[in-house]
Amino acid sequence: MTVAVRAESVTKSFAAGTRALDDVSLSVRHGEVLVVMGPSGSGKSTLIRTFNGLESIDSGSLDVVGIPLDCDHDERQIRRIRRRVGMVFQQFNLFPHLTILQNITLAPIQVKSVPKPMAERRAHALLDQMGIADQALKYPAQLSGGQQQRVAIARALALDPELMLFDEPTSALDPERVKEVLDAMRQLADDGMTMVVVTHELGFAREVADRVLFMDGGRVVELTDAETFFTHAKEERSQRFLNQMAH
Amino acid sequence: MQSCFSVVLLALIAWALWSTGFWLVQRADWSVVSGNLPLFAIGSYPEASRWRPILWLGSLLLLTLFTLAQPLLLRRGIGLNSTILSWSWLLMMPLGLWLLAGGGVLDPVPSRLWGGLVLTLLLTVFSGVIALPLGVLLALGRCSELTTARQLSKIYIDGMRAVPLIAVLFFGQLLLPLFLPVQIEINRLLRAVVAFGLFAAAYVAEDVRGGLQAVPPTQSEAAAALGLGPWQIQRLVILPQALRIAVPALTNQAVGLLQNTSLMAILGLVELLGISQSLLANPAYIGRHLEVYVWLAALYWLLCTAMALMARQFERQDPSNLIATRRS
Repeated sequence: MTVAVRAESVTKSFAAGTRALDDVSLSVRHGEVLVVMGPSGSGKSTLIRTFNGLESIDSGSLDVVGIPLDCDHDERQIRRIRRRVGMVFQQFNLFPHLTILQNITLAPIQVKSVPKPMAERRAHALLDQMGIADQALKYPAQLSGGQQQRVAIARALALDPELMLFDEPTSALDPERVKEVLDAMRQLADDGMTMVVVTHELGFAREVADRVLFMDGGRVVELTDAETFFTHAKEERSQRFLNQMAH
Repeated sequence: MQSCFSVVLLALIAWALWSTGFWLVQRADWSVVSGNLPLFAIGSYPEASRWRPILWLGSLLLLTLFTLAQPLLLRRGIGLNSTILSWSWLLMMPLGLWLLAGGGVLDPVPSRLWGGLVLTLLLTVFSGVIALPLGVLLALGRCSELTTARQLSKIYIDGMRAVPLIAVLFFGQLLLPLFLPVQIEINRLLRAVVAFGLFAAAYVAEDVRGGLQAVPPTQSEAAAALGLGPWQIQRLVILPQALRIAVPALTNQAVGLLQNTSLMAILGLVELLGISQSLLANPAYIGRHLEVYVWLAALYWLLCTAMALMARQFERQDPSNLIATRRS
């Protein structure tokens, strides 16, 4: 099986009647980095949140790491997916009452019944990989935003996911903290992780993405390889967006 | 004009302090207190077994002092592990019950002989033990997505809060036995504790609900994204945060609980207030109301202050800084 995510004609509307996703179809191959771009309100966050069931879909079908997920929002299927798909949020969402180490070991111990010493060894290794090995016993509030986001990445990696979802991981960071998080993500991509990244970081997208998905108004405007997207985007809407981002 | 006012005010304060001090030292006859200290402490507990409640009071006092001195001791590297400390506090409950009621190697002592400070503490602790878990459950129910659970919790909470405590106590004491079959006779003390706990649970529930609502929804989202189930999310992520946030409000409840145990005197339980009233009914102490009530006030003040200090310490020691009243 080589496809990590397959979406077919996915549609979703919110209660207020806004159409968040309109007939979205795409697929993400294993080992691929897909960057999702678009103006705010274009449905990019909603899209990747459907991939692990944080948002339900109204019609169409989804297949994530080989597990089908359609409109009936089956809790069991969703939990099976979530065990194999990591997610990193814009606001980090670390658990403030737990230490960094406990944040990372919580899910392996509770969800996968990994013995505590093993989970902790793995957590230390992940923290080391993220360059924050010395922070294990601190609490989230004691860390900088960039460090917290790297902990969040380590927390998601602790379940050994096949797919990582990033929902604007650097948007809440101070500009000088953005690099350390992007570096960690770049490292992850180099190691062959399958990633879907919603971001406004053009440099990162240009450098790391295999393909770029450009969305507007809940629709797929363009889905091409990164090189093509940044040098000669086909659609007028994408060009306009890139121009605005460049200034 | 202003300075004139200040002088008058100062004179008034000085006069009040002087007359109070004079009364405390010179006029008051403290024999009613000093002669009855054991009665205030443990009521009319059988002479031969008096060491039991006294031992309990002593260990509580020691543990309180230890807890309050904890930061100082820790700085010198001789403090108790805080886990041991919390377990010792938990252990105090069954220990107290066993020491008072007897059983096993200890002679049984019926609960109508319990009294004084010991009874006040016992009532507070055990109604708290009922109120806290029940309150948490009610709060979870109130915030639940299940309509039935939400409605039931709402009805219970609103109902309990609409009834005065004294009515609930009377209901438990007088009416409950009427509804129950004759064979089932519940201990008077137990009835009071249960009624009190059920009442306090409604208020605890609202405090905990405040905590639950203060935890951002992104927390349960993040936990869900890690594959945790609904119960795991509540137990491991939401509740621990909600309870920490609710600590100041819960401290308030605990202090209220302690003070409200004095209402049980009306039901004939001889806790601190009950003991005082029975003392004042003794012809030997006629007209000593002021002394007894001043002493009682001081005693309650001391207990509540100890509770408040310990709660504040707990707040300060919380390394995650979640508790709502932080030092600025």
